[in-house]
Order: sequence, then C-alpha cells, then structure tokens
Amino acid sequence: MTKMSRSILSLAMMAAMAGPASADVIKVGVIGTFSGPYALFGKNFKMGIDTWVAQNGNKVGGHTVEFVYKDEEGPNPAKSKALAQELIVKDKVQYLAGIYFTPNAMAVAPLLEESKTPLIVMNAATSSIVEKSPYIVRTSFTMWQNTVPAAKTAIKNGAKKVAIAVSDYGPGIDAEAAFKKTFEAEGGAVVEAIRIPLNTTDFSPIMQKIQAAGADTIFCFLPSGPPTIGFFKAYVDNGLKAAGVKLMSTGDIVTEIDLPSIGDSSLGVLSTYHYAVSHQSPENKSFLEAMAKVGAGPDEVAMTGIAAYDGARVIYKMIEATNGQRDPAKAVDSVKGMNWVSPRGTVSIDPETRHIRQNVYLRVVEKVDGKLVNKETGAVFSDQPDWALSKR
Amino acid sequence: MTELVLPHHAAGRRIPLIGEAAIALAFAAAGALGYFLFPDDLAFLTRLIGIAFLVLSLDLVTGYCGIATLGHAALFGGAAYAVGAACIRGISDPFALLAIGLCSGAVLGLVSGALISRFRGLPQLVLSIAIGQLVAGLANKLQWLTGGSDGLSGLEPGKVFGVFGFDMYSRTAFLLSFTVLAITFLLLRRVVNSPFGLMCRGIKDDSLRARMMGASIYPRFVIMYGIAGAVAGLGGALTAMSTGVVGLDSVSFERSAEVLVMLVLGGAGHLWGALIGSVIFMLFEHIVAAANPFHWMTLVGLLLILIVVFAPRGLIGPLTALCARLFSREKKT
Repeated sequence: MTKMSRSILSLAMMAAMAGPASADVIKVGVIGTFSGPYALFGKNFKMGIDTWVAQNGNKVGGHTVEFVYKDEEGPNPAKSKALAQELIVKDKVQYLAGIYFTPNAMAVAPLLEESKTPLIVMNAATSSIVEKSPYIVRTSFTMWQNTVPAAKTAIKNGAKKVAIAVSDYGPGIDAEAAFKKTFEAEGGAVVEAIRIPLNTTDFSPIMQKIQAAGADTIFCFLPSGPPTIGFFKAYVDNGLKAAGVKLMSTGDIVTEIDLPSIGDSSLGVLSTYHYAVSHQSPENKSFLEAMAKVGAGPDEVAMTGIAAYDGARVIYKMIEATNGQRDPAKAVDSVKGMNWVSPRGTVSIDPETRHIRQNVYLRVVEKVDGKLVNKETGAVFSDQPDWALSKR
Repeated sequence: MTELVLPHHAAGRRIPLIGEAAIALAFAAAGALGYFLFPDDLAFLTRLIGIAFLVLSLDLVTGYCGIATLGHAALFGGAAYAVGAACIRGISDPFALLAIGLCSGAVLGLVSGALISRFRGLPQLVLSIAIGQLVAGLANKLQWLTGGSDGLSGLEPGKVFGVFGFDMYSRTAFLLSFTVLAITFLLLRRVVNSPFGLMCRGIKDDSLRARMMGASIYPRFVIMYGIAGAVAGLGGALTAMSTGVVGLDSVSFERSAEVLVMLVLGGAGHLWGALIGSVIFMLFEHIVAAANPFHWMTLVGLLLILIVVFAPRGLIGPLTALCARLFSREKKT
C-alpha cells in the first residue's frame, strides 16, 4: 500500500518536476521577515529584488524568473523549515533566498542538499552558516567581517579599556569573539563582556555595570530594530555619553531606519559597516533612485535591501550558468570568484567560503540637511574577507 | 417487592467499541484525505498535528478542570528540548524519542500541575505565566543543553521500524504523527469519559459540591495535569523529530497564548473542539499568510474578533447543535 502510493507519488513528482523546465518559469523562494517588528528589513528584501528586476527585466536567457515570498515572522526555526519545505515541494522553487535570522538559516540548511536547491543568504550573519551546506552563498556580511575593523579603529583612536555588550545569540557571540581577539592582540584590554538576552528592554543595569568597570569605550552589537533604540536611550540616560564614554559598534545599532527614532543623541557614534545609504558613488545613486521607484520611502532603505539587490544578481548569474536547469553544484561554482561593482563598492564572492568579500567603511553619525546620516569618514578597510572563515 | 427497572441505554452498548471504531475510521479517512489530496502540504499538516497535541493537552486542564493557564507551551517545548538533546547525544530510534517526549512532558506536567492547581483564579494564571517564563528563560540560558537562542538544529532521528526515513516531503513524519494523534485521541476519550474524567468536570462545575461529596480535588488535578503533560510532550517530540530543530519559539509565551486562542475558537471542554480549533486556526493562518505574507496578521486578528462576537463558546457549540438537529430530524422521518 505505502509502496504503491510512494511510487505513484514519485511518478507524480517526476511529472511535476519535468513541468517547470518546459514551462520555463524559474521560481525563487524568498523567506524574510515581512510582518512584526522586523518587517521593514523583510520589505527591503522585496524592494532590493524588485529594484534588480526593474533594472534588468525578469528574463534570463529566455527563462522567466519569478519570486515567491514567505513570511519568517521572527526567530522561529521550525516555521522557517516548514516554509522552505513548502517552497521546495509545493512551489517547486529552484533557488531559495533571504532569511533574516541565523537559527532560521541553520534550520533550512539541511534541506538544501537533498532537494538540490542553492540558498542565497541575504542577511543572517553568523559565520558558520555557509559551512552548513556547500549550496549556500551569502551576499550580506558577517559579524567578523564588520567587527575586526571596529577593533582596529578603537586601537587607532586610543581606546585602552573597552566594555563589550552584545546580544546573547549567534551573531552577538561572534562579534564579541572577533572584537576581543583583535583588540587584545593589538594590546588593548577588555574590562567587561556582557551578553544581553534577546528580549531585553531595560538596558540600565547593563550601563551601570559598564560604568562600574571603568571602560573608556563601549563596543556593542544588537540586532537592528527596536532593541537598539532602547540601548541607546539607556546609554544617554545613564550619563555615559555625558561622561565621555565612547560608543562604537558595527552599523547594526545605527541603521538608517532607526536613526530618526534614536535622535540627536546618536551624533558622533562611530561604526564600521559594509554599507552606508549615504555612500557616494554613481552606482549607489542610481540604486537609491530605483529603490524609491519600487516603493522605498525616505529612511526606509537598509542593509537588507542592498544584500537582496546583489543577491538577485547572483541568482541571475546562476540561472544563466545552468541555463535554467536544476544543477546546484554548477550554479554555485559559477559564482565563485564572481566580482562586480555594487552600490556598496567593489565586491566579490570568495571562492573558498562562498561569502561576499567587500569594503568595510568607518562612518560617523552626523547631521546633514537636518537629517541624521552615517557619514563615511574616508577610512576604508578594503576587500575584507570573513575573518572567521578565511583564517582556517 | 418492587422491581427496580433500569432504563436501558442501547446506544453504543450493543457492539463494544463501536464508537472507538467509528472515530478510528474517521481519523483514517481524514489522514488518507490529507495524504493523497495534499501531498505537497505534508510539512504544514505535520506542524499542525504537533500543535493539535498541545491544544488537546490544554483542553484537558483548561476545558475539563477549569485551570486557567498561559504557560502551557512549557510542557510542549520542554519535551521538545528533551527529545532534541537526547537525539543529539545519539538516541535516534523514533519510538525511544517519543517515549522520552512523553515521559519528560508528564514529569513537567506533574511538577507544574502540583504548583499551579494549588491556587484558583488570578494567582493561578500568574503562576502559570511565571512557570512558562521560567522554562523559556532556562531554555535560553542553558546554552550547553539547549543551544540558547540558536536552538538545537540538525536533529536526525532514525527510520521508523528501520524502514521509513524522515525526508524532505514529510511523508513519514505525517503518517507517524497522524497515527499517534489518532491513538492519543481515542485514549483521551476514554480518560475524559471515565469516572475520573467526569469527576474532574464535576469539580470544575461546582467544586464546593464535589468537596461535600468527599472528592479530593488537588490530586485529581495534578494527575490530569500529568496526563496533559504527556500529551503535550508527544506533540513536542513529534514536532522536534519532524522539523529537526527545536527553538525558543517552542516554549514562548506567544505559543501558549496562541493555543489558548485555538482552544477558545474550537470550544473548550470538548476534545473535538480542541481539534477543530487547531485545524481551523492553523489553516486560516496558513492560507492567509501564503496569500499575503505582508499583512496576514491583521486578518487573523479580524477572524478572532468575529469568532468571539458570534460564537463566544467556540465553534463546537453551533456544530453539535447542528448535528443534534440533523439526527433528531432523521429519527422523526
């Protein structure tokens, strides 16, 4: 009974799988945070992809590309895995993309080899994700990539005693490790390392701890979104800013989306990041104009938009290389070493790690025409690899 | 000498177990329907079944004993973590994992039941939330065991009977979950209709009267909580095995609140109500979220308001009334 039903099923499936090749629509499943507190970052996935499609059309070598969106909601690995399964089995997608949270990416990874589906990660920033499957390529960033330059900057600016405060999950722990290793190797001292639970809303006790430790600089990482605003408020309210304790971070706590709600107290904060909306280049200018055309309001462009835009470019290249056939190994091989000029600067896919190599910029929060922006200071750490993966 | 004439209730007594057989048949039909009509949706259906266990479990304590709780996911998630940790440490037989889920759920149920059923009303509700938060906090903190906020991933349970592996299409997971659900449902029916189950219901309706009759309340509630824990544990185990991941969402407050909503939607105090509630809520959420991944939450909120306004006692009320009317009409004609 089960055997028969299985064979019938597999027949049906073969028929179905043969379907898309002749129908010639190549589907890409995008899993992102489209509702809830992280909705704007999910919206950036969609806008980034829409921008790429608007500029380059929805056809690659005669194949029509179609994007299917699913809502990952929040850090919910079981749901993300079920969504990925649904996209693969029901929607018959040839590529998966997106994914905001690390645990969700970890949950999806085991499906890729069995289903022969490449995954283009457009946010989740824990280094080890790309090691979970040979079919994962990442176009966003990693904590190591953005943090090592931060530690170097701290040394250069004369920081002696640093307190590290990070969110207690994968990327946060990565950031802590990266900063500590680089900073101590260059002779600095880490006087306090705090891991903050993800759903913390009151950051005052943390600020008091930092104050007690006598740090001259705070390095922090929190996932962009509501928590960063609370963190900032506590930093100012507890008098650390007034006392001259410097705040440094990766760009995540001063995303352009959050800056208006943080307000003027963010002025002067240093951050190292792979993309600033204010980046001066013709590519970025036309990217921002195109983003506005697909519905990005002012202050709505975030790093997930650029990762999705470049991710779509990678997917197009994969489709072109495989001529629309399901061949994940060939698809992934075709983008290894691929390089191009992105709106964020020159980037390339590291052939060894399948992670994006890119410039990391030192920026400072400034007011330009009455609007808070991350202004690049001119200090550029060029062609940064993912330090955690490349050293091995 | 007077003769005591007992009214003879023929229904269901003539052929033993006919009720059970009918239900088993209905389950088999529903399962086959799901399996053959929606072969592409089995991952979702399996997830639904996992949640249905939790709603059934909640029904046992809330619907049958009147214990208000907003921390029920602790039992489900606690068991899921136990199964996940065991699986990572090399126990891969699915039935062994199910047993682990069942036992850890039951233990968690007994412990939290022993605490929660000491109180009534608001303190009880607060205590249930506290226990839920405690378990959630532990799951986040005990990183060596639970993986913290990254959760446990890459669980690979062995093959069922050594033949059917858990694959991408969730066929094995679906059939296994469904079978376990059917068996659990039949057993629970026995439990709630047993003298023990009836007494629980009696206590819920009028605890003073029950106490006057000499019934001791506390041990009964604790035992019911233990049974509920075992049921929730099964759900947690099945979910962990079929998805291969256990995350903080499985012990979250949102999960507890969501299943309470499902129970109210279906109708508390009926096993069928719990099933109907979970199926309808999950289906609605699934369809709406697929149709519009950006604004689906608003529509789910709207559904809840409509249900509370038009069927405050759950969908099972109007449904049973309809059934009763249909059957009585049949008898008349």
